Amino acid sequence: MTRPPALGHGLGLRPIYYDEILSTRPAVDWFEIISENYMVGGGRPTAMLERVRADYPIVMHGVAMSLASTDPLDFDYLSELKALAERIEPAWVSDHLAWTGVHGVTLHDLLPIPYTEEALAHVAERVMRVQDFLGRRLVVENASTYVAFRESEMSEWAFVNELARRADCLLLLDVNNVFVSGFNHGFDANEFIDTIDPDRVAQFHMAGHTDNGTHRIDTHDQPVCDEVWALYERARRRFGAVSTMIERDDNFPPFDELLTELGHMREIAARIDAENTRSAA
Amino acid sequence: MRLADLQAMFQAGVLAGAEDGARILESVKNSRQADRTTLFGVYVNAYHARLAEFLAADFPALRALIGEAAFDALADAYIGAQPSRERNARWYTTRFPDFLREQDAWCDNARAIDLAMFERALTDAFDAPDAEALPIEELAAFAPEQWPRLSFTFHPSLILLELEDGTIATHEAAMEQQDLPPPGEGRGHVAIWRADLDSVHCPLEADEFLALSLAMEGHAFGDICQMAAFRDLADASPERLAQMLTGWFQEGLVVGAKAREEG
Repeated sequence: MTRPPALGHGLGLRPIYYDEILSTRPAVDWFEIISENYMVGGGRPTAMLERVRADYPIVMHGVAMSLASTDPLDFDYLSELKALAERIEPAWVSDHLAWTGVHGVTLHDLLPIPYTEEALAHVAERVMRVQDFLGRRLVVENASTYVAFRESEMSEWAFVNELARRADCLLLLDVNNVFVSGFNHGFDANEFIDTIDPDRVAQFHMAGHTDNGTHRIDTHDQPVCDEVWALYERARRRFGAVSTMIERDDNFPPFDELLTELGHMREIAARIDAENTRSAA
Repeated sequence: MRLADLQAMFQAGVLAGAEDGARILESVKNSRQADRTTLFGVYVNAYHARLAEFLAADFPALRALIGEAAFDALADAYIGAQPSRERNARWYTTRFPDFLREQDAWCDNARAIDLAMFERALTDAFDAPDAEALPIEELAAFAPEQWPRLSFTFHPSLILLELEDGTIATHEAAMEQQDLPPPGEGRGHVAIWRADLDSVHCPLEADEFLALSLAMEGHAFGDICQMAAFRDLADASPERLAQMLTGWFQEGLVVGAKAREEG
């Protein structure tokens, strides 16, 4: 199993920052797009993407593949996604271990599944079919969840590992999602990080979330919190140099603030690399 | 419970907004800190909030015109009546102006309906497919006798609307958070398209609206001149049509031209 080469430290490409990115060419190693935002006819979205793509590696991250749905796979959607990938030539394509609706309805959310053998077989088969259709290995992300089902037969991390093994797919480890789900369901986020198969992890996500007291919600509207930075450090030690990016999707700060967060991430990575070098010497 | 049944129940609970008594709750665990109704409610609330946010983002001027309370009630009704069947959230709001027109409380409010139509057109023009504008010099490739048989194709972003007078002024005032102007008294025409990656618009006189509508339907230059409806309009002449055509080229609206075969 070969992981794709690490791209470094990236950010999400969001419309509010187009002008600043194109005029200042910031020191960001790569950008991640929300694939669906560019699955439109043309105009500013696709023009801006092509301009950014000329200068930066791009990763395509989708929210609508509905990998875990019991509806049939949507091959019209997958065809559009494939066409975008052929045009943009992303480093990889990712989506979530989630479903977005059934019976033709879309709830525009990343919905939770029970961690059962039935669900595992179902999702693994769909990931394999998507990979065959796209002609590339898919990168699958653990979602933040707010409910746990009585039907679950295994832990989320056992499910994720086995999915990656059966479907021979890669993983996007969302460190914030691990933290949020760990808080909401009372599991140890460290155990999740420590158990995931290192050979499968192609990317990390970092993000901020909202603390509602009794539960936390993955809102991407705040800076990364200290606990999630600590979890990133743990993940960075375990998984090594993995492409990592910060997601920000609301309450947008000046772009410089995101660059400062990115700098903090780089410092942590550099410190760990220096420690590893010293201990190897 | 099988996965398909669980997903059907989960979705039914979200769509019904049933935080209490939803059948799916029987499958949901309480957490150490929160009860299952609260936790399932995160999905119920997010669903409604997200769709309402899509509508508010695409129809900000309508929201300013009718007020937040009325807009939110309308959005609630749309969300209740119209679960999304769009894989891409971009298209969820498309039917909102039609929905407005179908509501007893709004069907006679041309000002609101036309403003919604205008905002939808701006959104649709914004990310319509790309097409290269045809330079007017390309027309030199056609012999003079071919001109009456020339037909044109137009930029995919081009949309023509008939709107109540004052719709655009209302939109501009709303977007700049200024006081809204009084409603207009008549109706007029407008072209909306994309130029330099932004949606733009321009008022059209009745004759140009008709000529451009006919041209977009594929009618040839000579046929448009001959159309009785066009001839009946003041100042309608081949020269006037040629002048309009020049303007369409200058605005980058024409992306193709071909001469129909004779006979």
